[in-house]
Amino acid sequence: MTISRRTFGKLTLGAGVVAPVHFVRTAVAQPKPGDELVIGVWGGAQERIVKEYCEKPLVAKYGCKVSYVLGSTVDRRARAYSERGRPSFDVLYLNIFESRQAVKDGVTQAPTDAVPQFANLYDFAKLGGYGVAINPCTIVYDKRKASKPITSWKDIWNPEWKGRIAWPSYPGAEGTAALLMTAKMFGGDEKNVGVAFDKIKELKPFAAIQSSQDQLFQMFDQGVADLSIEFGPFVRKYAETRNPNIEIANPVEGQALAMNVACITVGTKNQKLAEEWINFHLSEPCMLAYAREIYYSPTVKNLNIPDDLKQKLVLGADAQKLVDFDWDIVTKSQPAWTSRFNREIAG
Amino acid sequence: MSASAAMASGVSQPAAPRPALSRFVGPALAAPVTIWLALTFAAPLAVVVLLSLQEFPDPFGPIVQPPSAAQFAAIVSDPFYLRVIGETLALGAGVTALTVLLGYPLALWLTRVPARWRPIAFAVILIPLLTNVVVRSLGIVLLLAPDGLINQVLGLVGLPPMRGMLYTHGAVAIALAQVFMPFLVLALYDVLQGTSPRVHEAAASLGASRVTRVFLVDLPLSLPGLRAGIVIVFLMSSTAYVSATLLGGKKVWTTGMLVWQEALQNLNAPLASALALVMTVTSTLFAVATFMIVQRLMPWRSMRAVSAMSVPGWLTRLFDLLGPPLGKLLLALSLLLLLLPLALVCIQSFNDVPQATVAGFRAFTWKWYERVLFGGAYAESFRVSLELALASALVAIALALPAAFALARFRFRGLTALTAFWTLPLSLPHVAIGVGMLRLLQAYTAVPPFLGLMSVHVVLMLPFAISLLQASVEQLDRVQEEAAASLGANAARRFFLVILPGLTPGLVAAGVMSFLLSFGEVTVTSFLTTARMTTLPVRIYAEATFSLEPTVHAVSALLIVATILALLLLNRFVRLDRLHAR
Repeated sequence: MTISRRTFGKLTLGAGVVAPVHFVRTAVAQPKPGDELVIGVWGGAQERIVKEYCEKPLVAKYGCKVSYVLGSTVDRRARAYSERGRPSFDVLYLNIFESRQAVKDGVTQAPTDAVPQFANLYDFAKLGGYGVAINPCTIVYDKRKASKPITSWKDIWNPEWKGRIAWPSYPGAEGTAALLMTAKMFGGDEKNVGVAFDKIKELKPFAAIQSSQDQLFQMFDQGVADLSIEFGPFVRKYAETRNPNIEIANPVEGQALAMNVACITVGTKNQKLAEEWINFHLSEPCMLAYAREIYYSPTVKNLNIPDDLKQKLVLGADAQKLVDFDWDIVTKSQPAWTSRFNREIAG
Repeated sequence: MSASAAMASGVSQPAAPRPALSRFVGPALAAPVTIWLALTFAAPLAVVVLLSLQEFPDPFGPIVQPPSAAQFAAIVSDPFYLRVIGETLALGAGVTALTVLLGYPLALWLTRVPARWRPIAFAVILIPLLTNVVVRSLGIVLLLAPDGLINQVLGLVGLPPMRGMLYTHGAVAIALAQVFMPFLVLALYDVLQGTSPRVHEAAASLGASRVTRVFLVDLPLSLPGLRAGIVIVFLMSSTAYVSATLLGGKKVWTTGMLVWQEALQNLNAPLASALALVMTVTSTLFAVATFMIVQRLMPWRSMRAVSAMSVPGWLTRLFDLLGPPLGKLLLALSLLLLLLPLALVCIQSFNDVPQATVAGFRAFTWKWYERVLFGGAYAESFRVSLELALASALVAIALALPAAFALARFRFRGLTALTAFWTLPLSLPHVAIGVGMLRLLQAYTAVPPFLGLMSVHVVLMLPFAISLLQASVEQLDRVQEEAAASLGANAARRFFLVILPGLTPGLVAAGVMSFLLSFGEVTVTSFLTTARMTTLPVRIYAEATFSLEPTVHAVSALLIVATILALLLLNRFVRLDRLHAR
C-alpha cells in the first residue's frame, strides 16, 4: 500500500490528536501525592466510617488528600447532573434507582473490574455503580400493639393498624418499596401500580406520612404511630438502643431491596484514586464497620462475619432473595407516581 | 386622644430635602444594593424565569429555549396546585397573625426590661434562631404529643387529652411562629423604643390608662415596624418547607415543599420554577397590599389630616379590665415558646443517646461537646460559618444602610420598583434560588468559594437588613440633625456623631439578625458548598439526612452561651436603647 503525502499528513495529524489523550490517560491513571479526591456522601455515622476505613488507608497508600461534600442524595444528584462531564465530585453515593439512571444519563460510570472487589459483588450490586451496603426496606411495628407477629406485607391491612400507620413518603427509597411491594401483593407490578394506590387508600386515615427515619422514631417515641415501612437495619439500631418494643418484620414475601451505591463520575480526573477508594469501601474492615455500627449488610461475598453479627444482617441466600424491581420503569414513572401520591395518599 | 396628636407632640415630621440634592443623592444611596443584587441575584432569578418557560424538563438541555406557558398552564388548571397555593397563603396569614399576637407583647416587654437585663432578654428572643430546626420541632412535638406537655396540663385540671394536635396546620403554624417571632420583635423593638416618653406623658395627662396607651399610642406609632415585621414573617412563612415537613407529616402541604420535590426529587426544574414564581407573585402582591393598607392607617406620614378618633368609654373600661391579664398570658405563652428549645438543648446536649430526636433522658455524657469542640470537622465548619456570617453581616449592613436612607428620606422615580426588586430574595423560595444557582454552578465555581458564598448570603440578608434599618431611619429625630447643622457640624460629623448613635439599636438588631441568618442558612448553601467550605448548618443538615446525633444540641447550647456573652459584651460598649429612653 502506498501512502500519499496528503494521507500521511492526515495520519500524522490524527496520531498527534490521539497521542496526547493516550499520554494523558496514563498520566491520570497514576495518582500523585497531594492529589485531591472529592467524595459526596451522607454525614454522621457514614462520614465517620468512610473517614476511618477508606480515607486512612488510601492516604497512607498514595499520600493523597480526601475532601467531602456532605449532603443528601437528592442534593448530590442534582449537583452531579448540573456538572455532567465536568464534575466537582470524583465519587458520589446514591440510592439504587438514582445510581442506575445516572449511568444511563452519562453522569456516572458503569462499574468495571478495575475495582478488584467487583468480582465478589452480588449481581444486583454490579449495576449502576458499585453497591456498597444492602439496606432493605421492611415493615417495622410496635409489637405491643400487634395481636400476632407480622409475617406478611398483607398484614398491614389488618384492621388493628387502622389509623396507626405512618406511611412512608413518596418519592424516596422507603416510599418506593412500600408502593411496589403493595402492588406485588395485590396482583400488580411496576407497570401496574394502580392497584397499589387503591389498596393504600384503603388504609387511610394515616397517623401521618413519615419523611425520614428520624421522624419515624419520633412518632414511635411519642406514641403517634405504631407501624411503618422503613430501612430495617437502622431501625434495629433504634430498637436496641431506644425502643425495645419495635420489631423489624421479615415477611414471607421477602424484604424490598434497597442499596447504597458508590458511583464514579464521568470526567473524573482521579479515576485510579476513585477506584481504590471504592475498593477500600468494599474491603472487609469497612464492610464490618458498617455492619457493626448501623447493621448495613455487605454487598460482597468474600467476608468472614463474626457470628454475633450474622443474625442481624442479610447474607448469602437471604440477600439473593431480596425483592428487586425494574428500576428503569420506576425512574420513568416517578413524576406520575409522585403526582398521584400527593393527590390521593398524602394530604 | 388622636394618633395625630401623639405624632404632633412627639416626633418631628421629616423635613423635605432640598430638591436639587435629592435628585442625585437618593439614586446614589440606592445604587450599592441594586448593583450587588444585579450582580449576584439577577442571574439566578433570570435562570428561574427561563426555566419556568420551558415546555419539558431536560436537565442537560440549554437554558434558553423557545418560551412556552405549559408549566403555568399546568399549575393554573390543576386543582391540587391551586389548593396548595391557597393553603400556603392561608398558612402564611395564620402564622403572621399568631406571630403578631405573641410577638407584640414580647416587644413591649423587651422595651421595658431594665437596661442591664436587656442582653439576656435579647438572647431569650433569639433562642429559636440559635437552635436547629430539628431541636425546635422536637420541642413542638413534646408540647403537642398525645402524652405531651399540653395534655399533661389538661390532665392535671381534669380535662380529657386532645389527641391529633400533631401533624396539623396548627402544629406547623406554632413552629413557624416560634422561629419568626424574633424577626417581628426586632422590627418592633426599635420603633417602640423610638416613641418619646413625652407622648406617653401627654396621653396620660389626658386620662389614658396604660392599656389605652398601648392601643392608641404605641400601636399606631409602631405601625412602620409592624408593617416590616408582618411582610417579613408572611413572606418567610409562605416559602417555608422544612418545618412544614417535620410537623405537618405531609398532611400539610406548602408550595415550598412542592418546589423542593419537583426540583430535586423529580428533576423537573421547569415546573418547580413556575411554581416558585407563581408563589412569589402572589406573596409579593400580599406584601404590597399590606404595605398600602398600613400606609392608609398612617395618614400623618403623608401629611394628610386625621380625624380625631373617639373611643367609647365602655371599650376603654373593657381594655383596662381584660388588657393586663391577657397581655400577661400572651407574654407567658410566647416566653414559654421561646424557652422550650432552650430547656431541651440543656438536657439533650448531655444525653447519652444515639439520635438527637430522643425525648427521654438516659445517661449523662460530655461526648457531644467533645465531638463539637475537638472533633476537627465540627470545629472547622464552625470557624467557616463564623467567618462567613461576620463578613456577610458587615457587607449587608454597609449596603443596606444607604438603601434605608434612600427609602426613608428620598423620593425619586423608580423607587417603588427598586423596593420590590430588593424584597424579591425574600419572596422567592430559597430552593428556587438554589435551583437557579445550580444551573450557573460552572460560572459560580470560578469565583473563590468564600466570596461566592458570602455574596449569596448577603443577597438573602438584604431584605431584612433594609426593612429593619428603614424603620430605624424613619424614627430618627431630624431636629437633632438640624440642631447639629445649625451649630456648624458638616454632613460627615452629623452622620458619625448624631445619626449613627441614634441608629445603634437598629444597627445592632439588623447586624445580629443578618449574622444569625447567615450562620443558619442551609437551603442555598447546601447547593453551593464545596469540599473545602462546609458550613456548620450544611454539616448538621447532611447528618440529618441520615440520622441526626445529639452533637446538634451541643452546637445549639454553645451558640446560645456565645450569644449571651457577645450581647453582654456589646452592651458594655454600645447601648441597645435610644438616648431618650435612658
